[in-house]
Amino acid sequence: MNYPVWDVPILGNGLVIALIAVFHIMIAHFAVGGGLYLAMAESRALRTGRREWLEFLPAHSKFFLILTGVFGTVSGVGIWFSIGLAAPEATSSLIHNFVFGWAIEWVFFLVELTAAAVYYYTWGRIPEKLHLKVGWFYAIASLATLVIINGILTFMLTPGQTWLSVAGTGSEPDVFFAAFFNPTYWPGLFLRFLSCISLAGVWALLTGSLIDGRQRPELKTDVIRWSAKWLVPGFFLLPFCMVWYLWKVPTAQVELAQLGVSTIGAGMFTQVTRTVLISIMASGTILAVVYLAAYRNPVDFRIGFALGVLLLAVAATGTSEQARELLRKPYVIVDYLYSNSVRKIPVHRGELVVSEVEQFNKDGYLTHSIWAKAADARTVQPVPSDADEKPVTVPSDLDVTRGKLMFRGQCMSCHTVDGYRSIRRLLAGRNEKSIHNILGMLHENKEDSPYHAYMPPLVGTESEISALATYLNGLVVKPIE
Amino acid sequence: MTKSSSPASERSTGGKLWEFFDQRLGLSGILDIALHKTVPQHSQSVWYFMGGLTLFFFLVQIVTGTLLLIYYQPGGNAYDSVRRITYDIDFGWLIRSAHSWSANLMVFVLFVHMFSVYFMKAYRRPREFGWWSGLVLMVLTMTFGFSGYLLPMDELSFFATKVGLEIPSKMPLVGPAAASLLRGGPTVGQETVHRFFALHVVILPALFMLFLTFHLFLVQRHGNALPPSEERKPESARRSIRFFPDFLLKDLAMWLIALNVLGLFACLYPWDLGLKADPVASTPVGIHPEWYFMSQFQLLKVLGNWFPGAVGEVIGILMVTISGLVWALVPLFDRSSDNKMMSRVGTWIGILALAGLIALTVWGYAAL
Amino acid sequence: MSDSSDVRSKKDAGGRSPVNDSHVSVSRRAAVGSVVGVFSVGYVGAVSYPIYRYLNTPVERAASAAQVTEVSPPDAAKVKLGASQTFMFGSRPAVLIHHEDGQWSAFDAVCTHLGCTVKYESSKDRIYCACHGGVYNAETGEPEAGPPPRALTRYKVEVKDDEVIVSRV
Repeated sequence: MNYPVWDVPILGNGLVIALIAVFHIMIAHFAVGGGLYLAMAESRALRTGRREWLEFLPAHSKFFLILTGVFGTVSGVGIWFSIGLAAPEATSSLIHNFVFGWAIEWVFFLVELTAAAVYYYTWGRIPEKLHLKVGWFYAIASLATLVIINGILTFMLTPGQTWLSVAGTGSEPDVFFAAFFNPTYWPGLFLRFLSCISLAGVWALLTGSLIDGRQRPELKTDVIRWSAKWLVPGFFLLPFCMVWYLWKVPTAQVELAQLGVSTIGAGMFTQVTRTVLISIMASGTILAVVYLAAYRNPVDFRIGFALGVLLLAVAATGTSEQARELLRKPYVIVDYLYSNSVRKIPVHRGELVVSEVEQFNKDGYLTHSIWAKAADARTVQPVPSDADEKPVTVPSDLDVTRGKLMFRGQCMSCHTVDGYRSIRRLLAGRNEKSIHNILGMLHENKEDSPYHAYMPPLVGTESEISALATYLNGLVVKPIE
Repeated sequence: MTKSSSPASERSTGGKLWEFFDQRLGLSGILDIALHKTVPQHSQSVWYFMGGLTLFFFLVQIVTGTLLLIYYQPGGNAYDSVRRITYDIDFGWLIRSAHSWSANLMVFVLFVHMFSVYFMKAYRRPREFGWWSGLVLMVLTMTFGFSGYLLPMDELSFFATKVGLEIPSKMPLVGPAAASLLRGGPTVGQETVHRFFALHVVILPALFMLFLTFHLFLVQRHGNALPPSEERKPESARRSIRFFPDFLLKDLAMWLIALNVLGLFACLYPWDLGLKADPVASTPVGIHPEWYFMSQFQLLKVLGNWFPGAVGEVIGILMVTISGLVWALVPLFDRSSDNKMMSRVGTWIGILALAGLIALTVWGYAAL
Repeated sequence: MSDSSDVRSKKDAGGRSPVNDSHVSVSRRAAVGSVVGVFSVGYVGAVSYPIYRYLNTPVERAASAAQVTEVSPPDAAKVKLGASQTFMFGSRPAVLIHHEDGQWSAFDAVCTHLGCTVKYESSKDRIYCACHGGVYNAETGEPEAGPPPRALTRYKVEVKDDEVIVSRV
């Protein structure tokens, strides 16, 4: 807790990031795929003399410009805000490694935004050939942003051995390219590119559905059918890319798919597997729905069904991204930084090499937390060691406060009290002793512990962990009418 | 496809088979009806899918419900058998979650279907019986939900049923006796589970099938109703698509979307099983019935607090009964597109009902 | 299918030569047909696989239960008084306990609550499940505290010379 804690009740800060991110990705992938769509559609219209397309494309590019230029950019900034608040340690690690990468991305991003605006505002004002060139220029710039951001996104799941071997020494930027072109870089890039192409088709179906089928049956048929075809490559190639991707992910992470996350009951699919299943099912269904509702009868394809297709696309994209995030458990950056913002790898601090886990266990987690001190200075006073021996009486105010700070620091990046992954629900029916036992298992974090694979080690001294158990027990005790 | 190209004219093996069945079952007549049936196409035609969606979720209920029957045991073992389904049997959690989620989705699309039918004024002559049979199906669906909710016998379902049965017991004269009869005793217990089980898997499905057949027969008989805005257009300006195969394939696309939504909910938010019901435990705070009973629940709660004794509840039950009656009788006074006055009254009643339902439900949740 | 050809002919009438000539359309129809086929098979499979597994669970459980009836855990005779050993009984983990009074007992080690693996705690002479704090009696396997609904399945233990044989009751 070197940074203030962002407390989002019910949703939890992780889910806030997820909601913003899915919204952003739906648009950002469109910004990449849609650029190609516009350029290819315009080029096709000019080449084959489909003049009426030159009436549809400006309308589509206006929608495109507003969606990507306003909602895409704002939600992109939203991701920055939310990750900075929810996981400051991880965000800081990423910035320290990739500040140069991000700088390049922003250059392309500015180019992309400018080109999109120029493209829209010069319809019919500059020679057609030149206008088409602007379109291609946009497509390339937007593709470049994907090529760069993908390196940072895939890094979190597979930082790669080269980077991990220098992690914590301060010379990480020396292996920038090894970290950037990490093991899942290429499969990740292809997956995202295919998703971009499919989403370009989905969004074009949305604007295409607004064409009046009675007035312009030929144009509508052509637009709907051509846009529907953009979903085909993704449908056939995504499964292969998925296998390629999973092949490059460390086995320990893939094994999560065989382990119960929300329940440990036998035969229970894990959350990762369930999420992957939904993403496969929704991706597959999109093509079927597009064929039945759009391709077979394009003239009658209306906004209602187009929104249905968009809904499926959101489901497919959302669950795929969620599965990718879940695969990273129990880390934010695999094998480097745990999801409770504790570093797994020893860090060089000046002359010293410090293991954060050992340090926190020995001196106390709250002792090293600047913001715990700010919240309540009493919490970091060393507690006399005989405090542990005292018989359990009414929990002291101080214990509850310390427990709450432990909860905020180490549990709240994934759990909420009452909402998403509610700690009250998960611990329901247990007494303080049994809660303490579970915390003990999390603290020891043994290889054979059922929680080892998806929860980080709980760090802190015995008295801090007892305080956490006291606090949690206070939450669980049922209110009685 | 015209009649001359129908499979009967082919002389292949398939053609002979077709002929065999056609002569005995009259298939070409059915095919003929299907081929000539059309569905109006206009700006509001998306609502025509809602009935089909309700049917889809009902079919899911039949399949998953039958599967649950294989391991479920009513009575004293109820909770343990559901625990086994949820945690022990492979994919049991999925079947159970799909059953619960599709029940909720069914109630939801049924409400959408009912209100869309209402606002498109599809209850007008000659479709009054379609409206009435639909209302019966809605009451049956909600009874399905109420009886099914108790069956796992966990804490939540136990107390929600206990609270829910307070409503009929407040009815004057027959109330207490009716509630006891439903419970099979003075309190909710094993006997109640047996009764609700019989209701849920035998009586309600039988009645539902009967009314569903009647409802579908009427839909087939009268076809899709046109909303007033379309009726005003001249015949030549109206458009329609063929039921077979165009509408049916679109319906199929809709069902695929529905299946995905169901899968999404069932996989990502599997239905929880609470602690085993403990009859002597005190009622947990904030216990409330399922969302589709929330408006009635809240109405009774509020009126009960306003009036002394059981007067509030009686007034509440009267209000619910009277609104239900008005809702059912709308086709009798809003009969034709010509009578603008009554048509407007009908629309206002609909808006009032929808707003009232939503407001009471939101209020109910806010007051928990 | 006739509808798509309607639209196609409209397009032809529009004066532009569309990509799909009639002979292409035949192969396209075949391609669409096969994709539809793959789809249907996929959907039917995706729906019927869980149903098959759901119905087949008791069969599988019975088969795996019948497979192994007797196990002699390696080095079991070396388990000291008051100590225990975890071993595999067929596909399921089991726990063998050597009580202070010299008696032996063995249980299925899968908690009857939610399926975690239980362990013997010699200091308290009890079987304990750390997941939710379930406690079982170390001699009978009966649940004593916490959420477990049923007793652990008990196995028969026989000691012959240097070998400990655990078998189904």
